[in-house]
Amino acid sequence: METKANISNSSAAREPIIASIRQSLAASKASDRVHAEHRPIVEYYSPSSNAARSILSHDELVGNFCANLDLLGVRFAIVRNEDEARDYLRKLIAASDIKRIAVSDSEIVSDVAAPINDVEVISSASKETLFDCELGLTSAQWGIAETGTLVLESDAERHRLTSLVPPIHLCLLKAEQIRQTLGEILELIDPRQNRTITFITGASRTSDIELTLAIGVHGPRELHVLVLAD
Amino acid sequence: MHHLTSDNFDQNAREALRDPVLHGALRNLADNFVERRRIAMSSVDDWEGLRTRARAIKDETLAHLDEYLLQFVENAEKGGVKFHWARDGAEACRIVLELVKASGAEMVVKSKSMATEEIHLNDALEAAGIEPIETDLGEWIIQLAHEIPSHIVVPAIHKTKGQIADLFVEKVGIEKTGDVDVLTGTARRILRQKFAEAKVGISGVNFGVAETGTILILENEGNIRMTTGLPQKHIAVMGIEKVVPRFTDLDVFLKLLPRSGTGQRLTAYQSLITGVKKRPDDEGPDEIHVVLLDNGRSKMLSHPVTRQSLACIRCGACLNACPVYQQVGGHAYGSVYPGPIGAVITPQLMGLSKAKQLPYASSLCGACREVCPVKIDIPELLLHLRAEIADNNASNVKRKFSERLAFKLYGSMWSRAGRYNFGTKAARVMQKLVVRKGKIGKVSGFIAKLVPPLGAWTAWRDAPPIAPKTFRQQWREKLRSGNGN
Repeated sequence: METKANISNSSAAREPIIASIRQSLAASKASDRVHAEHRPIVEYYSPSSNAARSILSHDELVGNFCANLDLLGVRFAIVRNEDEARDYLRKLIAASDIKRIAVSDSEIVSDVAAPINDVEVISSASKETLFDCELGLTSAQWGIAETGTLVLESDAERHRLTSLVPPIHLCLLKAEQIRQTLGEILELIDPRQNRTITFITGASRTSDIELTLAIGVHGPRELHVLVLAD
Repeated sequence: MHHLTSDNFDQNAREALRDPVLHGALRNLADNFVERRRIAMSSVDDWEGLRTRARAIKDETLAHLDEYLLQFVENAEKGGVKFHWARDGAEACRIVLELVKASGAEMVVKSKSMATEEIHLNDALEAAGIEPIETDLGEWIIQLAHEIPSHIVVPAIHKTKGQIADLFVEKVGIEKTGDVDVLTGTARRILRQKFAEAKVGISGVNFGVAETGTILILENEGNIRMTTGLPQKHIAVMGIEKVVPRFTDLDVFLKLLPRSGTGQRLTAYQSLITGVKKRPDDEGPDEIHVVLLDNGRSKMLSHPVTRQSLACIRCGACLNACPVYQQVGGHAYGSVYPGPIGAVITPQLMGLSKAKQLPYASSLCGACREVCPVKIDIPELLLHLRAEIADNNASNVKRKFSERLAFKLYGSMWSRAGRYNFGTKAARVMQKLVVRKGKIGKVSGFIAKLVPPLGAWTAWRDAPPIAPKTFRQQWREKLRSGNGN
């Protein structure tokens, strides 16, 4: 366990570092003025998203979102209700010979997964168990159409490991939660409320060997997204 | 400890130029990333506007870094994050070691972090008997090979598939293969065991948001999510310059960083972490520690030119675009940070005396400035550092006053249009003294003292003579005569 001595030791440098920052900033005052002529600081942030958000219809948003999922190699389907989502899940279970499913604790995930009884369905799986599951089922709270991104909030569901550790991730997203731009989403999500927010854009990937794309290096090899239209 | 040779660029570069394997890899990098970046750039409406905004955000932050940093700390502490302050690399390593030892861990999983490379954290952990496991595929490869990264985004870019396969055969006992998926799968299998066992995960930080206390980390592989999500303790090492004021500022940087770095519109994963879990049965570590690293950064604030270095978001675009990096690769720089940005950061972090060749490892072509998503004027920085080197040499009586003066003039000539005009006019007059057979030949004696940069330059090659009239003069005359052609 950590002792108080350790903590006070490692914050001993706080004052010297802040003092050093202030000293350097003071020293540069004179030349800063000259430099400011070249790089004025004017209202430096205006959300670039405003234009895009109003002009797109609901269907266009879903269309854009799915088009970008497609570009990323994500498998996706638009389903009308939980039953259709469950059908997709059943087919996936059969096709990939799945024995164990880890599920998050969101309401929609429970609705879809509850009637599944031919395979083991594990909620709140331990770390060890998760490594033995072939599929993780979660929902997402938001979708970003312009990049095909899923946004998962920790207060809404225990998503972090279920969406990461099993080799296949199946994610449910309500169509009404899709927005066109990242800028809009950043205004909608609240990091103070959610201790972890995860953005997911496609399956795990790497190009570290000769810049050759390889899918599924640490996280899921397959990402499936079901968009629930009303 | 890895032997760093940042003051031996000339020799390193000569050796690199003779390495055909390296050249293949670097050509691949240039072909791939430069093109991908170009395509990704075109997917935003106003790339220039974004760059300008990003730089303005960084300038604003750095001009008030004390305030934003303290605001960030205060807000992250509300979420239960513990902060530690490190003046230099040794202090940062000591803090991390204490935190790891407190967990009783003998092994830690690490995700890619240039800050931990900078402070040589792995050496410190190993010296204390703790095994650090790099989990980014590229970092794991170079860790197995006992090397340092040669690129800040793709650390093992200098290695071929064949070399990596041989390394895996030797170190982890697989059958020889040429299949990238098999090599990647091997890393997945071995590193998953480490993730499952690790009590401590160590990461870097891409951005810290002052307004909310959020840390943002970007990646493609998922190893950062594992590192920050599975072990009970998460330690993040963060340079003090990584702060941005507002949460919505992330929009700008999330558009610029992936596009500039790998040519992606967004990397596969972003983790936005704002404190430890709220309830005991929530996911995530019990403790999050952020080690704030100064290590020379606060000193860089003291001049607007050097301060620019702190705007860097570590995308690697300047490496990919640089004609020097494309020829010699990252290891020639002999430092943790290679390429154009490395040539300006390394001398400032390590001291000019230890890296005085690096500011010269550039032709000042400006490709780096062109691609930089935060508009860092790297050529300006290089000239600034060259002038400083010349100043330092003042105490060395062997160096001539004229050389120092030349570098100063050279530097300021490029940065002011008026002086540039004067300088080229002066050169036009002086060249009459040295032009032979239509070329400027080797300059010596009195002339070399008058025009010192020409001395070294013309020792190796002939330069074409400067035109009798400047381009600007010719342009004005053409315009006046009403003939633009």
